[in-house]
Amino acid sequence: MAYLVEQLINGVCQGAIYALFAIGYTIIVGVVGLVSFTYGEVIMLGAFAALYTATLSGGNIFLTIVMSFLASGVTGIVIHKVCYEHFFEAARYISLICTIGMSMLVKNLVQIFCGSETKPMPAMIRSGGIRLGSYQVTYVQIAVILVVVVLCTILSVFLNRTRQGIILRAVSQDRKAAGMVGIDVNRATLLGNVIGCGIGGVAGMLYALYYGSLSASMGGMATMKAFSSSVLGGLVDTPASAAGGLLIGILENFGVALFASSFRDMIAFVFLIIVLIFFPKGLRISGRRRGK
Amino acid sequence: MIRKLQNIRKYIRHHRLMWILFLLAAALVLPLVLTNNYHLGIATRILMYMILASAVNVMNGYSGQFAIGHAGFLCVGAYTAAILMTRAGLNFFLVLPLAGMVTALFGLLVSFPIGKLSGIYLGFVTLGFSEIVRIVCLNWTPVTGGPMGIKAIQGPSLFGFSLQSPKGYYYIIFVMLVLMVFCTAKILKSRTGRAWISIRENEAAAASLGIHTARYKTMNIMYATFWEGCAGAFMATYYHFVDSSMFVTDESFNILSMAIVGGMGTLAGPIVGAVVINIITEAFRFLSEYRMVIYALLIIAMMWLRPQGIAGSSDSVLVSSKAGKGRKRRRTGRPKPVQAEAAPIKEG
Repeated sequence: MAYLVEQLINGVCQGAIYALFAIGYTIIVGVVGLVSFTYGEVIMLGAFAALYTATLSGGNIFLTIVMSFLASGVTGIVIHKVCYEHFFEAARYISLICTIGMSMLVKNLVQIFCGSETKPMPAMIRSGGIRLGSYQVTYVQIAVILVVVVLCTILSVFLNRTRQGIILRAVSQDRKAAGMVGIDVNRATLLGNVIGCGIGGVAGMLYALYYGSLSASMGGMATMKAFSSSVLGGLVDTPASAAGGLLIGILENFGVALFASSFRDMIAFVFLIIVLIFFPKGLRISGRRRGK
Repeated sequence: MIRKLQNIRKYIRHHRLMWILFLLAAALVLPLVLTNNYHLGIATRILMYMILASAVNVMNGYSGQFAIGHAGFLCVGAYTAAILMTRAGLNFFLVLPLAGMVTALFGLLVSFPIGKLSGIYLGFVTLGFSEIVRIVCLNWTPVTGGPMGIKAIQGPSLFGFSLQSPKGYYYIIFVMLVLMVFCTAKILKSRTGRAWISIRENEAAAASLGIHTARYKTMNIMYATFWEGCAGAFMATYYHFVDSSMFVTDESFNILSMAIVGGMGTLAGPIVGAVVINIITEAFRFLSEYRMVIYALLIIAMMWLRPQGIAGSSDSVLVSSKAGKGRKRRRTGRPKPVQAEAAPIKEG
């Protein structure tokens, strides 16, 4: 029982990171309307930016978060220019293949310039933790959950209270109608892409921090985790997608407790297939109907 | 350059039979000309990828089921063949259809969840399936050898003659390819093939005309995966070794990009794509790690310049998202017949 509670704590923490993956992904898919395979590489770039910033700044966590956000956000601009901007009218698979090409490009460039081996992430938060009864929650876990919660709050305020956020949601609901009421759809798409990718970058930084390591090939799995989580929200509903991420994190840790740890990565796929069989349109937590 | 390409296409189309016979003859005498075993090995691999890309094309290009994780089916075929040959000691030519059938059964299994899905969901489910198969192969040590893989798979032999030579492998895969393309061409001209194409064009319209879309889609998946399994079986006996790292997601992308660079929805497309991509990746081998960068740039450039692929027609439905509303169509003012896309087959 104690073991299961510990796994639950680990799962919630890991799930919070996956939820952040999923939130960034749904923002991108929402505004762009096209699915991305480059997202995992964006996450990986965020982790690498965090590695270099942490090494250079001596472990300043705020600077690291900002740099991960910026590095991934700038990549988001490039991805938007290369993979999306010209292909809104074209068949969907064209931009999809473009994102596959882009993901190969980014991955191989990082492998060439940063090395393909798994690198250790400097510990920015001291080890140890708080004891809650007979269970221990480490400081890293607390920091991860804190960052995720703060980021989600900021994002929620941004999306619901500011003009730009409302524009993003309008474009996400209906591109054409948004264009008709005078919204610069292309600019909004770019902004959404930058924000989504930036969030992915911060999530990558948290991922590296949590596991203490990162590598250039971590992107492929991250894309699949982000997609599997978002499917619960039908790829556009942000809260439901975050819930999906949380659920996958918890299921993964219970799965590891029950089966072998080598089957960990399979759980997200099984989750994906089960969700698609039973809720092919995803769940809607936010209560609004989003026609796509 | 694009106009020149179109002229070449037109020329080839007018002299189809001659070209096909010429290419067949050239492929037949190739092992006699190529004395270097390394080059013959590349040619063998190109033929293997031709089968794979053609199978991808049958599924993605003709019935519009955009599956991505084709390496999973390849994995099933390769492991089935490896297990049957090393454990049961069966002959390769007996194992070949068996591996294909087992893979087709997996295709049937996958077709249940993806039957009602479309677009990107279908793609991700197949990708998920591919990864699940790979992870199972990596961890199910008693059967698949786990991370060690299966070693010492015997070569093919027929009536006591060993075909375990570069030339032998080349001719085996060549016969498989000819058989595959011939069968596919025949099927595409039949009622089944027309049903696949009509499902791709408009599934609702196809269903309203009395086509049992679910059944035809399943048939399509099973046919494509059968050949992927056969290619996997050949892969097992050709490399004498299978290992789960041969079937990672990058391999799926690799096969998919061959079909796309060549041009989906045409019979010649995947064949051209397999040749072009393999030759480019071999030619840039001296660049070692930059090779994949060039490959990635090539894919992006292809999508920008010629999204319908090298052999695809310029007014392909696969390029515009709204079939029937594309620029070309509006200008001509009348709808095209369903088979217009599959032009090379129509005139055969």
